[in-house]
Amino acid sequence: MQTVLNLLEAEPIRLFLSFGVILFLVLNLAAILTMAERKASAYIQLRYGPNRVGPRGLLQPAADVFKLFTKENVTPGRADLWVFLGAPIAMFIPAALVWMVVPFSPDAVVADLNVGILFFVAITSIGALGVVMAGYGSRSTFSLLGALRGAAQIISYEVPLILSLLGVIMLTGSLSLVDVVNAQGDAFWTWYFLPQLPMFLTFYIAGLAEVKRVPFDLPEGESEIVGGFMVEYSGMTWALIQAAEFASMGLMSAVSVTLFLGGWQPPLPFLDLGPFNWVWFGLKTSLIMFTFQWIRWSLPRLRMDQLMDLGWKVLVPITLVWLFVTAGAMLIIPGN
Amino acid sequence: MLSEERRVEQQSALTQPAAGRLAAPDVRDEFGLETIDMSMGPQHPAMHGLLRLILELDGETVVRCDPVMGYLHRCQEKIAENRMYPAVIPLTDRLDYFANMHNEHGYVLAVEDQLDVEIPPRAEYIRVLMCELMRLASHIPSIGFLMLELGAFTPILYAFRERERIQTIFEAVTGARMMFHYIRIGGVKADLPPDIPQQIWDYIEGLEARFQSDFVDLIQDNEIFISRTRGVGKMTGEKALEMGLTGPPLRCTGVDFDIRRDYPYSIYPELEFDVITDTAGDVEASYRVRIAECLQSIRLIKQCLEKMPEGAVMGDLGRRLRPKEGDGFGRVESPRGEFAVHIVSDGSDTPYRVHYRDPSFCNMQLLQEVVPGHYLPDIMPIMGLIDPVSGGWDK
Repeated sequence: MQTVLNLLEAEPIRLFLSFGVILFLVLNLAAILTMAERKASAYIQLRYGPNRVGPRGLLQPAADVFKLFTKENVTPGRADLWVFLGAPIAMFIPAALVWMVVPFSPDAVVADLNVGILFFVAITSIGALGVVMAGYGSRSTFSLLGALRGAAQIISYEVPLILSLLGVIMLTGSLSLVDVVNAQGDAFWTWYFLPQLPMFLTFYIAGLAEVKRVPFDLPEGESEIVGGFMVEYSGMTWALIQAAEFASMGLMSAVSVTLFLGGWQPPLPFLDLGPFNWVWFGLKTSLIMFTFQWIRWSLPRLRMDQLMDLGWKVLVPITLVWLFVTAGAMLIIPGN
Repeated sequence: MLSEERRVEQQSALTQPAAGRLAAPDVRDEFGLETIDMSMGPQHPAMHGLLRLILELDGETVVRCDPVMGYLHRCQEKIAENRMYPAVIPLTDRLDYFANMHNEHGYVLAVEDQLDVEIPPRAEYIRVLMCELMRLASHIPSIGFLMLELGAFTPILYAFRERERIQTIFEAVTGARMMFHYIRIGGVKADLPPDIPQQIWDYIEGLEARFQSDFVDLIQDNEIFISRTRGVGKMTGEKALEMGLTGPPLRCTGVDFDIRRDYPYSIYPELEFDVITDTAGDVEASYRVRIAECLQSIRLIKQCLEKMPEGAVMGDLGRRLRPKEGDGFGRVESPRGEFAVHIVSDGSDTPYRVHYRDPSFCNMQLLQEVVPGHYLPDIMPIMGLIDPVSGGWDK
């Protein structure tokens, strides 16, 4: 028994096993999020939402997955097959991979990389590749337009996203997400979202754009380019794209919680749950995900030029100014 | 309307498969970049039914936009020639299926033009009451459609909640939710059920209370809504008149024209209402015009209910309906603009010729003129400005 455990804890095997667990959790998260999305939208729109499969409709995701598994996977005749089929995977794997460096609770982090934040930035940019592959591989005008929009949007919003992280990195003095959480302390007024409020809002907005949610869902734009880069997908490939989108939405919430809202730290010191602090992490992440959905069902969509204006003319200047403010404050206030 | 060259091009677009056309375009700018041809529709979620737009795109900018209609053509005018006059009314219901009452009213006015029949005042009041309810049931969803096309999904469901309640009233009055066959030559089919005026009154009061929060506060001051609609589809009043626009698309450019006031019919002269105009001439202005017209409709409905006289609801028509020889003409202000019907009667019991002037069809002019130069996503709010209905532009 002990040898087996030792074997499992040996480095490459432990990493692979944990990635398996993460993959399982992320796929489940995606399924739960589809359900949450449908229920949340239903309550916003004065509807009931899915309520037929299982108690209170809770088994709806299972039924959806079953349906998508049994559906024929239609490939357009002119599609570039390898690129077309590779795109969903190129979108899903990065979205699942970044979860490896997110600390769930004091002891639960798969890999405490000392460059965790850089890892997050680097891996999420790969998602843009998947969008371009999907749009190019489908050989359809609508897909191509969606892919061009997606590439431009994701790459442009990387800039404010990265800039908004710098304040946190400066305050912590470390690139490791575990260090970031530890540095924030166990009371909500010591978390970074207060001193870094403009950065937090920029990160949130850029994050919305990064995961292609309303009001930044231009690559999909269902009323003009009917689904954009994913218009030609069906069955499991489509499900994989959806899973990737939901996984990256969950990821963006988790990372913003980790960086700005104290990660697994309890909001007040006496609420410390010890090893069960992942509950706080889960609650905060769910809250952020709910705001994502709330925005999704309340706001219309921006246009491409307005999106670029917002990114380059508003978000980037705000982050740059606050970067200098943070640096100045760190010089003036000692011991920070 | 189209040059000969365009027409040939459009013909080839209709007959050739898309693949051949996509490989062919040879329009290059100074950088040697080509434009893309794109066929949007007829199966497209934002095309208000079955409309096909042949687009030429330079990046995301639209260079050319040719609407192709006819996917829902049902020979309405020809069928009408083989039916007796009263039997054409259910066909008019199928024209603009968001303004059925107005279609019936327009047709009935055209026939009554050639008949010596006195319409009882109660019937006139019921007609106007129904038409104004219909205007609400069309304007409110059209605001929702505009938001849907901008990417916000929620307002359409609020809008359809209102439409559903109005349809429930229609069902109680006429027996049908959409295809009413209620306004008849000489009057209306049946009197209002006794509890309906109170029901309408209650509904209207409730709507007034909800209107501000559900359709104005949610939409009007939203920064994204403003940036997507202000200045989009902008046109001047002269341009709009040149294109023959009517209804909200015309009034939003500042032209003060409303059939209900300028060519009064039915009992509109006896009722008080304002003709809403706006000066901006863009999508946002058309939204404001529609919002304000909803409030005017509420005002008209209240007046109808207060002033409604007692009495018969059907005039004396005689046994067989034979309008006298000549031309009959009726025009009404439908939610989308001027709906006019021209009837040629040869003295028999079937019309010799029926022609409908449908605002959805005429307002479609705007696409070709206004869309080029806009971005691709701007086509959707401009469609929302026109708010065409498939059954209207294809008769």
